[in-house]
Amino acid sequence: MKYDVVIIGGGITGTAIAHELAKYDLKTVLLEKGPDVATATTKQNGGVIHPGYDPHPGTLKALLNPKGARMYPKLAEDLGFHIRPTGTLVVAYSDEDLKTVDRLLENAKINGVEGVVKLNSQELHELEPHINPEAKGALYAKTTTMVDPFEVAVAFMENAVENGVELQLNEQVRGIEKNGEQDFTVRTENNEYPTRFIVDAAGIHADDVAKMAGIEEYQIKGRHGNLAVLDKNVPIKTVMFPCPSPDTKGIALIPTVSGNFLIGSTATMRDDKQDVTNDKVGVEELIEGAKLLIPEFDPSSIIRTFAGQRPVALDNDNDFYIKESPTQKGFIHAAGIQSPGIASAPAIAEYVASLLEEAGLELKKKENYNPYRKAPTDFSELSHEEQDRLIKEDSRWGKIVCRCETVPEMEIIEAINRPNGARTVDGVKRRTRAGMGRCQSGFCQSRVVDILSRELGIPADEVRLEEDQSKIFSGKVKEL
Amino acid sequence: MTEKDFDVVVIGGGPAGMAAALEALKSVKKVAIVERNDELGGILNQCIHSGFGLQYFNEELTGPEYAQRFIDRVGDSEIEVFLNTMVLEIKDKTVIAMNEEGILKLKAKAIVLAMGCRERTRGQIRIPGTRPAGVLTAGLAQRYTNLENLKPGNRVVILGSGDIGLIMARRLKLEGLNVLSVYEIMPYANGLFRNIKNCLDDFDIPLHLSTTVTKVIGSKRLQAVEVSAVDDNLEPIPGTEEIIPCDTLLLSVGLIPENEVSKTAGVDLSKITGGPVVSNDLQTSEEGIFACGNVLHVHDLVDHVTREAEEAGRNAARYALGETSESTTQIPVEASGPVRYVLPSTITNTDEKVELKFRVGSPIEKGKVTVYLNDEPVYEGREKEFVPSIMETVTLSPEKLSDGKLRVEVK
Repeated sequence: MKYDVVIIGGGITGTAIAHELAKYDLKTVLLEKGPDVATATTKQNGGVIHPGYDPHPGTLKALLNPKGARMYPKLAEDLGFHIRPTGTLVVAYSDEDLKTVDRLLENAKINGVEGVVKLNSQELHELEPHINPEAKGALYAKTTTMVDPFEVAVAFMENAVENGVELQLNEQVRGIEKNGEQDFTVRTENNEYPTRFIVDAAGIHADDVAKMAGIEEYQIKGRHGNLAVLDKNVPIKTVMFPCPSPDTKGIALIPTVSGNFLIGSTATMRDDKQDVTNDKVGVEELIEGAKLLIPEFDPSSIIRTFAGQRPVALDNDNDFYIKESPTQKGFIHAAGIQSPGIASAPAIAEYVASLLEEAGLELKKKENYNPYRKAPTDFSELSHEEQDRLIKEDSRWGKIVCRCETVPEMEIIEAINRPNGARTVDGVKRRTRAGMGRCQSGFCQSRVVDILSRELGIPADEVRLEEDQSKIFSGKVKEL
Repeated sequence: MTEKDFDVVVIGGGPAGMAAALEALKSVKKVAIVERNDELGGILNQCIHSGFGLQYFNEELTGPEYAQRFIDRVGDSEIEVFLNTMVLEIKDKTVIAMNEEGILKLKAKAIVLAMGCRERTRGQIRIPGTRPAGVLTAGLAQRYTNLENLKPGNRVVILGSGDIGLIMARRLKLEGLNVLSVYEIMPYANGLFRNIKNCLDDFDIPLHLSTTVTKVIGSKRLQAVEVSAVDDNLEPIPGTEEIIPCDTLLLSVGLIPENEVSKTAGVDLSKITGGPVVSNDLQTSEEGIFACGNVLHVHDLVDHVTREAEEAGRNAARYALGETSESTTQIPVEASGPVRYVLPSTITNTDEKVELKFRVGSPIEKGKVTVYLNDEPVYEGREKEFVPSIMETVTLSPEKLSDGKLRVEVK
């Protein structure tokens, strides 16, 4: 049985495309090499929905970023993920910076982004009283929102699965054969997926996947970035960037949807695509960056540091690389999705659908398509009255597993038992926030292991952090 | 929603909470303990080694034995114990908590904070590298090993010479794991002397001072750590890196008083201890809210926790009965020189003798503690050794105290 589309890669781009194609009468499968969706670049991301003042007019980014950003509020409502309006400041410290602010204002106008204004020093300090007193002014983009990138990817995927898209995890693509017009075979270690079209959304490895189909149109290199997660105690409410350099938006302070904060990120090109080690110099750079914005910033509020790589398509003017391969018809690249990838994802998905249609795929609306996803219950957001009512319905709502983020047992059980549910400790963490707080799972990990073991019917010592090889235990202390 | 009234509500059912509740019950009738776990005893339940109770009971007990003595007393008493109950916040002297029956509102005349502490994590000390399985705090490894029968790994490196790390070095060695060595960034050990001797020396586990882990290596399960010697500023010295293959890294790098609930009540916290700022009756900045044990400051011995908690329980009961008079005295107490912190931070009650507890920031081979009142010495100790791992106490008689400022110094 032949697929219409095989999507390769389950990051934000791949899952958004799956969500988009789920609207149509198609046989679609998404292949992801990891044990869950959103386990690479997507989870190593700040989650800012940039409104689109930044990209150079005329680029794909300038087209897709503002459009994607505008799609988010409705998607958040339909798919039940968190979205938080924060606004963005791009802070100027010098006359040259103020010129950059003017340039960004102009960009915003051309890109059709509304709600972008210039603040003078006084207005800036009124908005954010703790900001560096030396700041001379700022660009203020009022429509910036924040999302949790894993939550969005999980929501896209769940909705896609409920509308008939197939999801195959732990399926790394090993080879691609072209057999004829609209006729490919995608091979993994154990399976073959015959298909008419391929969408390559393999992130940092998109060029490697393309090569398997004999395509060498572009090369991907990783831009490595350190990030730090902060406790919920930073006195700011707006996303804050310094003025950008040609390669990076600079080190930002970001209030997240969960009430924590992030500092991110550094930017250096790396040859090794697997390298997501974070380094001391980079983290020090983050701290300096945070202090430049908020001089009183206290590094002891850092609860975790991590690093990621953003896929950069070389010799492509820092733009996304999204097109049908001119040499292999039916092979669509959704590559080079660096920042603002999260913000652009829903627009990228629509764009890819249109490319598929142009390439000959018939897009017929599905009759029984369900655009909605029932959001998982977030206990910590409920009033005490609502919490009380839930507990009286099922006492498992009354048993707190993660104390830092107030996650009860039932929330974890639901996360495991949803479509594309959590299978690992990190999978639970990404879906429920259990383990993300200030104690970094010191309290809840053993309890989460216990619940996973019970719900999945596996021995506790076989519960994993993430991939197969990431076992948490080396067995039992004693065989009883 | 269930609502109940109490004289004293104690948050936390570990050694501090139990002792505070038992002592409060001597003066008032309605006392409650709110405990988030399914049993009382706190962290003592997983501390199956001995060494507890030498001061309080004059005998050497294991952690569970020490806890059991108090659990039995609580069980025989009229104290109402809420197990599996998580406190969400304190609002207007009402403890709002939840358990499997629903949301509870426990109205209290006085509240005792006894929530203990949590372990500092890898994130907070910002060890560079990857984020594989196999990196965990010593306390979590202790829970897995002693309570869950789960083996955390095979080849173990321990960072930090805190007591839990030292105890776990011996514990894992006894269970047949290969415990390679303990690394400590400071030029001195952080744990008690007896634990260095009994847990490392006796088991031939090397302790490397002025050395720290500078990189975590391995993408899925830990494969190795890079360690480096550090200079006087605790910065890694380039060229001293060494790769130690291992699959487990335990962290014993400090404890942090767990004051998230205190913050909801508006209690002022000390930047140095991480615990509430208290007067000498152990009352926090919020009237009628008292604090004791590791939530106040991290202790080295549970015996000290018990005694401090008894005092907090007694004072909370007194407050609940309305027996405390408006205090006119306000003597601030401050730490000076090598003294890192002193408790309490103010003296408001000079009817009884006043106990000052303090710790130094780094070891002093020969020193002498002096307490000054407005620069006049009012107490002078004998010459002795001071180390950060041992809490020191000085007792002042009330007649020595008058208006002014107290300063504790070690020279």
